[in-house]
Amino acid sequence: MLKAENIKKTYNAGKKIALQDFSIDVPTASIYGLLGPNGAGKTSFIRIINQITQADEGDIWIDGKKLNPEHIRNIGYMPEERGLYKNMTVGDQLLYFGELKGMSRQEALSQAKFWFEQLNIDQWWKKKLSELSKGMAQKIQFVVTVLHRPKLLILDEPFSGFDPVNANLIKDQIIRLKNEGTTIILSTHRMESVEEMCDFVALINNSKKVLDGKVFDVREQFKQNVFSVVLADTNSENLEELTRKYQIENMTTDNGLFHFELKNSENQNILLQDLLKTGTIRTFNEKIPSMNEVFINAVKD
Amino acid sequence: MKNIFLITKREFLTQVKKKSFIILTLLAPLMIVGFGALIGFMFKANEAEYKFEVVDKSGIFAGQLKSTKDITYTFVPANTENALVKNLKELKGSDGILIIPELKDKNFDALENGTKLMTNKKIGVDTKVKISADLSNILKKEKIKMLGISEDRIVNLDKNFKIISQNITESDRPESDMAFGIKTALSFGLMYVVFMFIIIYGVRVMRSVLEEKNNRVVEIIISSVKPFELMMGKILGVTLVALTQFIVWIAMSVTAALFLNTGFAAMQKNMPAEQGEMMKNFDFQQIATEVSHVLLDMNYVGIISVFVFFFLFGYIFYSSMYAAIGSAVDNETETQQFTMFAIIPLMIGLYGSFTIMNNPDGPMAFWLSIIPFTSPVAMIARIPFGVPLWEILLSIFLLIASTLLMVYIAAKIYRVGILMYGNKATLKEIWKWIRS
Repeated sequence: MLKAENIKKTYNAGKKIALQDFSIDVPTASIYGLLGPNGAGKTSFIRIINQITQADEGDIWIDGKKLNPEHIRNIGYMPEERGLYKNMTVGDQLLYFGELKGMSRQEALSQAKFWFEQLNIDQWWKKKLSELSKGMAQKIQFVVTVLHRPKLLILDEPFSGFDPVNANLIKDQIIRLKNEGTTIILSTHRMESVEEMCDFVALINNSKKVLDGKVFDVREQFKQNVFSVVLADTNSENLEELTRKYQIENMTTDNGLFHFELKNSENQNILLQDLLKTGTIRTFNEKIPSMNEVFINAVKD
Repeated sequence: MKNIFLITKREFLTQVKKKSFIILTLLAPLMIVGFGALIGFMFKANEAEYKFEVVDKSGIFAGQLKSTKDITYTFVPANTENALVKNLKELKGSDGILIIPELKDKNFDALENGTKLMTNKKIGVDTKVKISADLSNILKKEKIKMLGISEDRIVNLDKNFKIISQNITESDRPESDMAFGIKTALSFGLMYVVFMFIIIYGVRVMRSVLEEKNNRVVEIIISSVKPFELMMGKILGVTLVALTQFIVWIAMSVTAALFLNTGFAAMQKNMPAEQGEMMKNFDFQQIATEVSHVLLDMNYVGIISVFVFFFLFGYIFYSSMYAAIGSAVDNETETQQFTMFAIIPLMIGLYGSFTIMNNPDGPMAFWLSIIPFTSPVAMIARIPFGVPLWEILLSIFLLIASTLLMVYIAAKIYRVGILMYGNKATLKEIWKWIRS
């Protein structure tokens, strides 16, 4: 859906490089995570897509067409710095922003009503922003972003400032939107949300792309063949043999159960047989690295 | 284009719905009038009434020195003088003694320089002046009598010339006396209005820009509209607010004028005879008619069109400057280093324009009304006196060109400035933004 090729962006007459040779490919109706530490270049890239700034070099295509002002009405943007007019009523603001994106007043009204029901915030239509709490204001911010039914949604740290209940509510809405065909680019450093929600991910560090791909594949790429095992009724002799054959770490006992991790380079079935000889298997898990671990490992180099 | 309209609409409605706007628009004229009345009242309340005993050893003033509302003269025999002076301090019911010396050998000098006023309390300057004027007038009449001339003839000596002036290049009728006064008043008034509006509303544009910057709304808007559209929408929105307020005030003054007119007429009817006579000479209706004659005589269509044009363009010129200033800083205190760029030219225009009244076609007037920074104020000050067409056109052309240039530059500053936080923009940086 969105394709970026060799994007370069500098500030201060070339003295500060924000993005170098940055290329990604975002498939339609997917949730694409943009990961990276602060200052890596995520926000610069997002601003380029939103046509707030222009890239020095490189191109962006949306659905095959080069990025141009017509795309604005099909993109929804929730910036990291939340902000709405404090003294306008919620209703007025939604209509205003909707109309700015090209909706008619009718469309804006009906969509606003729809979202108010979805998020359970019916009674706020006439309230001023200054009367709402931060979490409530964030919900309104979200509605402003999705009101005009954009095909591409760009969310910069969407969960910051939300309590767990509301974060979950928004997460469900995002997934629902994806299932209805919206493409979503999520920029965050909350790795758990990447694991829970993202289909694809790209890692940016120091203005360059470090890795990208399906979340599943990326995690597989970084796995270290470590297994987590819990055994009951262990045969101590065989356990010792096991320790000699495999690299075992973090062994603990508790209530007659043995917990440990082991590194396996052999065929998994052989490992299972060896384990079965040693005791009753309660748990057998391959440890796939979390995105957090992937991230830390990737930026370490 | 539609976006500019949406933004203008929002800007307009937001400002007009504010309570402060409604209060200011409706109450400000009332407050000004009320304030004036308060000042008048204060003056009146502080008026004091004095009672003086008068010892007139010359005998000239006895029947002539008349008591007024503020000063009561009580003539007393000359032989009571010493006793009065001795008891003055404790004397109740009297504030002082006026002692006029004897007239010897028609030596009026002795009277003029030897009259004493002894008081037992503080007497204000204007009371003293009043007493002195009263005495002088009476003495003057006496001196005239002594010269043997009738008073009428003396009055005749003091008549003023009333010159009938007529500028043949401007009209084929003689100018009325009032004309100059009205032109000056109009010039002054209109110029001041333009000056105040540009400053007050220009600052509002600046504040609106800062508000959007501070509550971060600007990023969302910029993802929907171009910075230029946002800036123009804001300027136009605030312009409409200014015009609305202006129209409301004009309507209020016209209503007030009509009301006062009929009220005055009613007052005249109900007044006692002598005061009514006095009032007749101050015939409001007659004055109003004369004023409107003079106004209609002037090229009022031209004046109004020039006023509207220069008001509008001058306003857009300065508002875009204010918008750029607002976008380059983070809060209002930081704007002060830049706002002087806007205020100084306006003040030069304002104060320079005072000379226009004395010399409407002079070099100062010419240059001030041509240079775009000062022309909105200066040309409006000049127009009631009539300006050659080519000068008006030249000024209009220059103002349009520089307004477009200013909007262009401001848009460049605005586009970069609104997304910058935390850096204190220096003039050097801003210059870079313009060059980019």
